[in-house]
Amino acid sequence: DTELRLSHWLPPQHALQTTGFEPWIESIGEASDGKITFQIFPAQQLGSATDHYDIARDGIADVTYVAPSYQPGRFPIISLAEHPFKVTQAKSGSAAFNDWYQQYAAEEMPDVKVCMAFMQDPGTLHTVEEVRLPGDLNGKNIRPAQATMASMVAMLGGASVQVPAPEAREVIARGAAEGIIFPWDSIYLFGIDAETKYHIDFPLYTTVFVMAMNQARYDGMPEDERAVIDAHCTSEWAERLASGWAEREESGREKMLSDSSHTVYEPTPEDITAWQDATAPLMDQWRQQVSAKGADPAAIEQSFVDHMSAAGALFEN
Amino acid sequence: MNQLLRRFASIVETVAAICLAVVTILIFVSALGRYLFSAPIPDAFDISRLLLGLAIAWGYAVLGYRGGHICVDLLVEALPERPRRALEVIAQAILLIFTFALAWKLFDRVISAYNSTEATSDLRFPVWPFIGGIWLGVAAAVLTTLAGLILMISGGPLQRNDPEDDVYE
Amino acid sequence: MSESDLVAIAGFVALFGLMAIRVPVGIAMGIVGIAGFAQITGWGPALNQLAISPLRTITDYNTSLIPMFILMGVFATRSGISSELFGAGRAWLGHLRGGLALATIAACSGFAAISGSSVATAATMSKVALPEMRKAGYPDTLATGVIAGGGTLGILIPPSVVLAIYAYITEQDVGQLFIAGVVPGLIAVLIYMGVVMFMARDASPGEKIGIAERMRALRGIWPVMLLFIAIIGGIYIGVVTPTEAAAAGAFLTWLIGALRGRLGWRETRASLVEALRTAVAIYTILIGAMLFSYFLAVTQAPQKITAWLTGLDLGAYPTLALILIFFLAMGCILDAMAMIILLVPIVFPVVTQLGFDPIWFGIIVVMTVELGLITPPIGMNVFVINAVIRDAKLTTIFRGVMPFVVADIVRLVVLVALPALTLWLPRTMG
Ligand code: NA
Ligand code: NA
Repeated sequence: DTELRLSHWLPPQHALQTTGFEPWIESIGEASDGKITFQIFPAQQLGSATDHYDIARDGIADVTYVAPSYQPGRFPIISLAEHPFKVTQAKSGSAAFNDWYQQYAAEEMPDVKVCMAFMQDPGTLHTVEEVRLPGDLNGKNIRPAQATMASMVAMLGGASVQVPAPEAREVIARGAAEGIIFPWDSIYLFGIDAETKYHIDFPLYTTVFVMAMNQARYDGMPEDERAVIDAHCTSEWAERLASGWAEREESGREKMLSDSSHTVYEPTPEDITAWQDATAPLMDQWRQQVSAKGADPAAIEQSFVDHMSAAGALFEN
Repeated sequence: MNQLLRRFASIVETVAAICLAVVTILIFVSALGRYLFSAPIPDAFDISRLLLGLAIAWGYAVLGYRGGHICVDLLVEALPERPRRALEVIAQAILLIFTFALAWKLFDRVISAYNSTEATSDLRFPVWPFIGGIWLGVAAAVLTTLAGLILMISGGPLQRNDPEDDVYE
Repeated sequence: MSESDLVAIAGFVALFGLMAIRVPVGIAMGIVGIAGFAQITGWGPALNQLAISPLRTITDYNTSLIPMFILMGVFATRSGISSELFGAGRAWLGHLRGGLALATIAACSGFAAISGSSVATAATMSKVALPEMRKAGYPDTLATGVIAGGGTLGILIPPSVVLAIYAYITEQDVGQLFIAGVVPGLIAVLIYMGVVMFMARDASPGEKIGIAERMRALRGIWPVMLLFIAIIGGIYIGVVTPTEAAAAGAFLTWLIGALRGRLGWRETRASLVEALRTAVAIYTILIGAMLFSYFLAVTQAPQKITAWLTGLDLGAYPTLALILIFFLAMGCILDAMAMIILLVPIVFPVVTQLGFDPIWFGIIVVMTVELGLITPPIGMNVFVINAVIRDAKLTTIFRGVMPFVVADIVRLVVLVALPALTLWLPRTMG
C-alpha cells in the first residue's frame, strides 16, 4: 500500500482542490482498491509556492502542483502557452496542452515525472479607467498575473506591482495600482470588482501548471499501483482537473457581461492586431530562450498550434 | 590567528551591512520612481531580495564566530562555571553541525540554479551567482563556527571575539 | 495515539531540551524540524528541506521590511532620539506627581513608534530614564516597573517586528496589522499613565517648566515624529506598501540624523552593522521556525489539535479563552517571538475556524505574548533592565511591574470583548 503526500499552495476550499484534486484522488483510491491513499497539504504547509518543483524532485512531497512561471527562465518551453493570445479556453485546451507538452516534459523537467500539464481559464486586463489599446497601458501601474505578463506591462510602458493576489484589491483601492491582469471570476472572488469597472473581452493570457511526481517514488511503486497512476496521468484527467475551475472563471465573464455597473469592451479585429503587434517582441524573446536551451522553437510552436487547433482551443483573430 | 579572524570578520560584516544599505536605497528609490514617474527600477524586487539574502548569509558567518544568536540563558546561567562552559561548548558544536549540513545541502541548490537557467523577472539576470554568494557565506560560517568552537575549548567566551571591540573602537 | 503524534510530542521535548542547554532558539527549531521530518519521510527528503527552505526564507521579499524597520530604529537611537524623547516628556509632564515616570511612558510610546522591538525600547529607556528617576528619589519598584511595562509598547505600536512575523506566518496583510495596533497601543499608553498616577499618588510634584523651554524640548524630536506620522499615514492611506515605508523610514531617519551631524560614516557603519546583527538573529529564528512548521505539518499535529479543540464544542469565546490562558502560561517561560513562531501556526487554524478575525487575533495574541515579557520567572524586559542596572534586584523589578501586568490583563479583556476597538481603524483603510 502507498500513501502519497500531495502538496499545493492554494487554500483548501479552492475550486481546484474541491473539483480537481479531490475527485482525482478519489478515483485513484477506487481504481487501486484503496491501496493508494493521499494526504493533502494545502496552503504552502510543506513549502513555498515557488519551490514546488523542487519539493517533488527532492521527495519532500510525492505529488506537487507546480506553477513553472514562478521561476522565470527555468522552464521556457512550457511558458509558450502563457504568451498573449494563444488559447481560448482551458478545458479541451488543457487536454491538448498536455498532449503537446508531454513531448518535451522529459527534456525540460527531467528531475520529476510530469504526471500532467494543464492551464487556467484565459484571463484579461481589468482596469479602473478604460483601456482599449496597448498604448493605454503607458504609465499605468498594473498587477500582472505571471512573469510573461509582467514583461508585457513593462514593454508597453507600464510598471508591475508585485503583490500577492489577496492584497491586490487593497493596492488598487488605494490607487497604488490602476489595474490587474487576472482571470474573470477571480475578480469577484477577491472583491476586486468594486475597484476595476473596465474589462477587455479577449483571451490575453493563461497560466499553466504541472502535476509533478517524485520519480523515485513512482518507480518504487508496485506495478499494479503504477498502472493506476498512469491511468490518472492522462490528457482526459488534465481536462477534468482544469474543468471545474475553468467553468467557475468563465461564469465570471458571463456575470461581468450582464452586470450594468461593468463595461466590457469588445475589441475590433484591428484592436487585436494592434495588441498582437505590440506584444510580438515577447515571442522573439521566447524563441531566443528556447534556442539557448538547445531546442527548436519553430517546431515547438508549430506543434502547439496544431494541437490547440485540433482541440478547438487556438486563438485566431 | 585570532587577530586575522577578527579582521576578516570585520570586513565581512561591513560588506554585508553595505548590502543592507543598498537594499534599503534600492527599494526606496524604486518606490519613488514608481510613484513619481511610473518608472520603477527594473528588477528592484528580485535584486533586493537576493541581495538581502546575501547580507543575511554573510552576517550569519560572523555570528558563528562572535556569538549573539538568540538563546534561552536561564538554565545555563544558574549553573556553576565548569558545567556551564561544557554546555556552551556542546551548544556551539551543535551549531557547527547544523551549519555544516546547511552548507552541504545548499551547495546542491547552487548547482541546480546554475543548471536551471533561472533568472530575474525583468532583466533576466541569472540567479545562480547570488545563490552561489549565499552559499559562500554559509560555507564561511562553517569555518568561523569551527574557529569559535576551538577558541571556546581553549579559552574565553565567544563574546570576546567581537570584531567591533578592537578593530574600530 | 498514532506514531506521528508521538513524533510530534518527542519533537517538542527535544526542542525544549536543546533550548535549555543554550542551543540558539532558531538552530534548535531547525534541528528538531529536520530530524522530526526525517522520522516521517526518511532522511533524504528531510535534508533536502535544508536546501530549499532556508534559502527561500532569507530571499523572501515579504520579510525584507523587518531588517529595514530595525535599521530605522537603530539610526534613530544613534541620533540620540531616546534622550530627547525623555527630555520632551519631562518638560511637558515633569511637574505632575510621578512626572518622571509619566515622561518615561511618553518617551517609551514615542520610541515604540520608531522601533519594532520591546526589548530595545526597555533597554534604551533604562539607560536614559532610570538614572534620572533614581536621582529624583523614585523607589526602584516604580522606576524599573514603569520601564519594563512601557517597553512592551514597542511591539504593539507600529512598526513591530513581532506583528510583521505574525503577518508572514499567517499570510495576513502586514499594513492592516500595523494600523490595527495603533488604537490598542494608545489605550495602553493611557492606562499605563493612570497606573503611574496611582502608584505615585503620594509623591511630591516636580517643578513646572516654562512654555519656551517646553517648545525647545520638542525641537529634537519633531522631525522623527513627523516621519513616523508620514510612514504610518502612508501605509494607512495606501500610497506606500509597508516594505516601501520601511525603506523610506530607514533612509529618511538616516538623512535627518546626518543633517543634524549625528550620523557620520563611523556611526552609519556602526548602525548598519548593529541592524544587520539583529536581523541575522531574527532570520535564524525564522529559518528554524519554517523548518519546524513543515515538521509539524507533516505530523498533522495542528490539524489534529484543531479537530480536537473544535470537537470539544465549548463555543467560540471559551475556546479562545483557553488558548489565551495557555499563551499566558507559556509566556511565563517563553520568549515573545518564539511563542508567536511556535504556537501561532498551531492555534491559528482553530481561531479562524471559530470565526474570529485574523487581524484582530494578531493584535490579541501579540498583547498576550507581550505580557510574557514582564511576567516572572522569565521576563525579557525585566532581565534587560536588570542587565543595565545591576543593583536593582529581579524581585524588585517584578514587584514594580505587577500593577502593569494587572492593567494589561484588564486591557486584554476589554479588547477581546470589544473587537471594534481594534478593527475600526484598519477597516477604514483604502
Ligand atoms: Na513599535
Ligand atoms: Na514571562
